[in-house]
Amino acid sequence: MALEVSHVVGGYSQIPVLKDISFDVKDGELVGLIGLNGAGKSTTINHVIGLLTPHKGKISLNGVTIDQDSQAYKQQIAYIPETPVLYQELTLREHLEMTMMAYDLDQEKAWVTAHELLKTFRLDNKLDWFPANFSKGMKQKVMIVCAFLTQAKLFIIDEPFLGLDPLAVNDLLNLIEARKKTGASILMSTHVLDTAQRYCDRFVLLHDGQVKTEGTLSELQAALPEAGESLNDIYLSMTKVDRA
Amino acid sequence: MKDLFKNRLQRHLREMAKYLRLVFNDFFVFALLFFMGGLGLGYSNILKSLKPGLWWAPLVALLVLVIVAQIGRFATLIEDADRVFLLPKERAMHDYFVAARRYSQFLAQCTQVITLFILAPFLSVALHWTVAKILILAVAQIVLKDSLLRLDLASAYQVTGQRRMNQWGFKWLLAIVVIASGLWVTPYVALALALVADGAVAVWFQQHWQKQQIRWREQIKLEDNRMLGIYRFFNLFTEVPMVSGTIKRRRYLDWLFTGIKPKHSQTYLYLFSRGMVRGTDFSGLVVRLTVIGMLLLYFVRGQWLPVFLAALFIYLIGFQLLPFFQQYDDVVFTHVYPILPEFRLKSFVKLVTLILSTAALLLWVVVVIANRELETAGITLLVEAVEVWYLARIYTPQRLARADKNKA
Repeated sequence: MALEVSHVVGGYSQIPVLKDISFDVKDGELVGLIGLNGAGKSTTINHVIGLLTPHKGKISLNGVTIDQDSQAYKQQIAYIPETPVLYQELTLREHLEMTMMAYDLDQEKAWVTAHELLKTFRLDNKLDWFPANFSKGMKQKVMIVCAFLTQAKLFIIDEPFLGLDPLAVNDLLNLIEARKKTGASILMSTHVLDTAQRYCDRFVLLHDGQVKTEGTLSELQAALPEAGESLNDIYLSMTKVDRA
Repeated sequence: MKDLFKNRLQRHLREMAKYLRLVFNDFFVFALLFFMGGLGLGYSNILKSLKPGLWWAPLVALLVLVIVAQIGRFATLIEDADRVFLLPKERAMHDYFVAARRYSQFLAQCTQVITLFILAPFLSVALHWTVAKILILAVAQIVLKDSLLRLDLASAYQVTGQRRMNQWGFKWLLAIVVIASGLWVTPYVALALALVADGAVAVWFQQHWQKQQIRWREQIKLEDNRMLGIYRFFNLFTEVPMVSGTIKRRRYLDWLFTGIKPKHSQTYLYLFSRGMVRGTDFSGLVVRLTVIGMLLLYFVRGQWLPVFLAALFIYLIGFQLLPFFQQYDDVVFTHVYPILPEFRLKSFVKLVTLILSTAALLLWVVVVIANRELETAGITLLVEAVEVWYLARIYTPQRLARADKNKA
């Protein structure tokens, strides 16, 4: 059991956005976090990466909570934010080096991985560029390269598919697949439902700060038999129930 | 639309008032009064020594008047979102721009009047001008500024296939022609020329604006630049959130980083050092304060004054460096990286120690050069060393811990 979120109540202020949320991500599993704008996806992610502290409940990663040992907890996580954020004063090369230092990676080995990743995402000739000169998609690729440089056990990817070109989306999915094989888990939030349907092992459907349903596609289909076949149909019917 | 401008202007003036209060604090007003008094005295002394008929006198007047004519930009107060939200109201924007020009007019013409007021004694002494002549020239200058602002207004509209009319070359040329004719021929000619120019632009614009589109992007950029200039000025005195310093690569300083080994515990030193060197905000501050301190110490003699001043400048630098610790708080990775907070603090303390030691050393060298006395040099070095140690190792961690507690 890699990530375990149990009965978490939390949010940015005293008013909770998340109302008693529980789900888990197992080793080697890709879990899709699905929900409307404002459903609580980003809030959930912020809790998992330790930016927010839950009011109630517990989040543990391979048995460690952030309060017990923040270092050991964070060491296991690599995060790719929805909006890329970079240090304005560091070049691409320095971002990679900084990631290696922060995660205490072996520089030589990490650089080998780094060069492969850079080549895949066609950034290998931009090592001395500043973030200001990158387009949004390129910045997102930098985030991906930095994250996959690490040996994290849990990758948290916030809406990866918007802003990336189709080739990069494909490369990212291949990377995810490869990491899954080594036993790493991935928690990914997205609105691109047909891609999610094809690649995610399980889904957590968030609505209004609560976990509406959870499970594999066939489990979801069984739970909502009249909703339809695709994840898209299920998702739409789920939101309709609430609107009616 | 007029109301929109009025609203924005009110908001703008409130904001400016807030900053001006901070700029013109007691200390600064005091210094400014002295400065102006000194300048006034100097000016009057120069005037007394002037004899009429100097060949360069009209040139000086030309230079001053032409430069001042360019001061006072077209303040539109338009915002980035306007090109989306006000696009359907494009025709109605005319009223808005006219109102904006009226406001810009006020500020710009005040500057012109004050300049001519200051220049008047010079004109009367050096050129033997009568009051009437000076007054005519003043009117000509005001009309000239009016036409320059009218050009800016006209250039807010896109004239198909035509170049912008308010290019700086044209504006300077117009000002030079008008003022030169006033100084070397007679102010009446200058006034006539200015009136013709102003009228021509006005008539042309009246006929054309209805068929033209607004240059939204360009106007927005101009206004942004104008505001940035104002904020930069305020930023010299106080913290302005809208100004974020620029970043320069400064490859020639990369050797500074060779000492920082890529170790886990040094991650933040790696980041802080590069941020400090390549960002202009904090590095500029440190360099400015150090240079001012060095200049001051070069001219100061005495037993205790140099010691006191050197200590004061080191304190000022150290104190101003504190907010740099939070510089990267809005980058999420600062919180996500698996690095113990102690390492971050240690890195920061190391950085502060390095910067303060360098500044202290430079100040000390100047003290030694200026005073050439063993005792002063020794005392200064001792005081500096203790101060740097205390500021960096004791004071900084304490202050940051307290700030952290207040935030939580």
